[in-house]
Amino acid sequence: MKRRTTFTTIFTNTTKFGSRLFIFLSCLVFPFAVSAATSHHIHIALSNTSEAVSWYEEHLNCEAIAGRADAVNCANTEIEFFLGQTVGGSQGTGVDHIAFSIPDLDAKMAELESVGVRGSGVRLLRFEDGSLVRDIPGLFKIAFITDPWGTKIELVQDEDLLGFHHIHLNSTDPTAALDWYSQVLGGEPASLKGMLDGVLFDDIWLLATEYTDGRPGITQGRTIDHIGFEVADLDEAAVQMNRLAVEFRQDPMVPDNARSSAKQAFILGPDGVMIAVVESGWAGIEREVVAAGSTESAELYVVPRTPWGEPDLQGIWTADAAHGIPLQRGIDVAGTNELTPEEAAARRERGTLSSIWGYDREWRDTTLGYVKSAPSTQVAMVIDPPNGQLPETTAKYKAAVADAPPRIPPQRARTPVDLGTYVRCITRGPVGMMMPSIYNNGLQILQSPGNVAIQKEMIHETRIISTEPREGFGEGLKTWLGDSHGRWEGDTLVIEVRNLNGRTSYLGSSEAMKLTQRFTRTGPTTLEYQFTVEDPAVWTEPWTGMFNFIRDDSQYELVEYACHEGNYGMTNTLSAARTIDARQAEAAANEE
Amino acid sequence: MVIRLKPTITLPVLVFLATLTAGNSIIAQEIGNYEPEKTWDGNPDLNGIWQAIGTAHWDLQDHEASAGLPVMGAIGSVPPGQGVVIGGEIPYQEWALGKKQENWTNRLAADPETKCYLPGVPRATYLPHPFQVLQGTDKIMIVYGFAEANRTIHMDKENPEPPPLDTWMGRSHGSWEGNTLVVDAQGFNGEAWFDRAGNFASSALRVTERYTPISPDALLYEATIEDPTVFTRPWQIRMPIYRRLETNARVVEYKCVEFSEEILYGHLMKKEEE
Repeated sequence: MKRRTTFTTIFTNTTKFGSRLFIFLSCLVFPFAVSAATSHHIHIALSNTSEAVSWYEEHLNCEAIAGRADAVNCANTEIEFFLGQTVGGSQGTGVDHIAFSIPDLDAKMAELESVGVRGSGVRLLRFEDGSLVRDIPGLFKIAFITDPWGTKIELVQDEDLLGFHHIHLNSTDPTAALDWYSQVLGGEPASLKGMLDGVLFDDIWLLATEYTDGRPGITQGRTIDHIGFEVADLDEAAVQMNRLAVEFRQDPMVPDNARSSAKQAFILGPDGVMIAVVESGWAGIEREVVAAGSTESAELYVVPRTPWGEPDLQGIWTADAAHGIPLQRGIDVAGTNELTPEEAAARRERGTLSSIWGYDREWRDTTLGYVKSAPSTQVAMVIDPPNGQLPETTAKYKAAVADAPPRIPPQRARTPVDLGTYVRCITRGPVGMMMPSIYNNGLQILQSPGNVAIQKEMIHETRIISTEPREGFGEGLKTWLGDSHGRWEGDTLVIEVRNLNGRTSYLGSSEAMKLTQRFTRTGPTTLEYQFTVEDPAVWTEPWTGMFNFIRDDSQYELVEYACHEGNYGMTNTLSAARTIDARQAEAAANEE
Repeated sequence: MVIRLKPTITLPVLVFLATLTAGNSIIAQEIGNYEPEKTWDGNPDLNGIWQAIGTAHWDLQDHEASAGLPVMGAIGSVPPGQGVVIGGEIPYQEWALGKKQENWTNRLAADPETKCYLPGVPRATYLPHPFQVLQGTDKIMIVYGFAEANRTIHMDKENPEPPPLDTWMGRSHGSWEGNTLVVDAQGFNGEAWFDRAGNFASSALRVTERYTPISPDALLYEATIEDPTVFTRPWQIRMPIYRRLETNARVVEYKCVEFSEEILYGHLMKKEEE
């Protein structure tokens, strides 16, 4: 503690840190009006960020900033919006949520409830008992909502501090995290109403809650992409930070298209929190980028709603277009993020056609509907780590693999167990069941208020996901596909899967795997699917894969894939294995 | 060739039929009185988790208690029960009655339920497992607790569409008649049974189901069964279905395949030497 005080003193004395905070919200799912094959640079109408500005003005009393269509000022804290493809809301990342203080919280929540999700895009999060507001004795009343883009927002009724109130961190070690912010960025350790430890930056609180479910997600790419702090002289601050061994992700510089000559740097905080440090005078970046060779504006895609106001994912989708995307980036595509359509077509011919054994092309292209959607140009499914490769496996896992007995080949299978759960028609497992297959790629989604049914055609499995908080399975109940907990983060259906029985493995995944799935409609016929696998027993880091399902209501219908009922392959394989056994026994007897 | 008939069993007829079987008459009286909760589109709200109680899954008809596998003792025995067939009789053609008796004799090996096969309709409804109804915008989905069975009931088709192929669970088209969800199910593969007693139909089966809320927590389930190749006339079953009231009620994933493998493939397995 002594050490920290010393550092803080030196730091604040020499760098004169300001306390103006920025929250950078990557506020919109990228509106792909054209296929993913086009360039990442798309002309974006500024009205998109204006929508976010209006929302924060209308619902959280923030003020527009003159000359800036991409930021609002909320009681001296600036929230800046920029367009980008998000991989989900803020909840569960290093910056779980931001909080605003409202004079009359009950009235505010009643107001938001009456406007409704269709009117305002605000989503009210209920406590487990169904209530919207909870009074914490000694503290204040609290409530939670998300903005239309998935940012989790806490509303509190703290008369002592109205307006922007606090940033709430998730941390595996809250005390250490708060110490870090206090040391590196010069905040004042303090206690909120004598109940919560935090760090004060002027009158804005930084609070932290212990995160016990593995590690919090990295903020970058989520709706709260990063938080920012302003200093008088960034170069000088950087020298101090370097002394503290702070990890720089970008050295101080004036970014391209910056609206002022103020410098910006990026540092990595505890628990995967990306932090911008900017100089006084910072006025954001002009992010309007014109697409090379394209003058077309991308229309903002508005996700349709069900009649009861939830994002509408219903319909028949297929993963045909995604079949053939390798999980990991190959060495042959090191320099690119996209294949050309010709390369994608060639990959399909190579991969898909050869993997459907002797099935003929006509059957594939007609019955299987492969001509309905152009093959995906995606290079690899893995989008995090950004290099497209799965993270290192753990030493323990490597040792277990080395010690594992050799797999029994199918022709020697003793019992169905030797053949795997897919061949047995039990399941492809929680990760595998969503993966594109060569045929029967249908995905049907049906919703009723508060529930989403996700049905996969291949070996017919249906999961019912409640999007309301519900009591999970106890420790004593584990299943093949686990216990799915759903929620809406903006337009994204987020599903956390727990209580897996671990009897299926995806590339070595263990019973400890935590699977998070995200479904987002990114266009009229595109459903983006992301899956994050956290399995510290196997991989040293979490990893995330992504591919799109394409809507095909017009011609596709899921057929009943009565896999087990018609599993003649099982009978044939086992009977062949027993024949081989008998021949070998006979040969052995003859030798004697 | 499938002959399509308009549903002809109307409510007054059912009430009349109900009076024939004393045990069900109270249910019938309640149909007219209860005004169910409605969903966003003004139709009755059938969303939720439901389950039949009773012994129809053992035998649709009256049956006495009987022994099960000796090794299972009383656990495997068949509890006695009153039938759910209106009028009591299943009007089999002569050959079909013989087939039913053969099924009964071979039931342990031949019943698709033993093998964890898809249960078909109407059997899925009254198996001793919960099922969940989800009312979407154009479709209703029923997800059953046994063998991963599910049905999509198309509410958005003006005319029933022929199924792309015959299946265990068939193809279902639905419509609302007042507070009753009427489902026309056809396109079956003829492999499913109706119960553990060996009652059966062929691929010409057509089931017209009626789901009518009779209280916040109960539905009346009625099914008219037509199959001119097996029966001499259409016949009906009726039973209430109850809402699962546990606050944490779920259709818990139940993959039964592995429990059927010994029966199906045991003779092809290489067992560890004793």
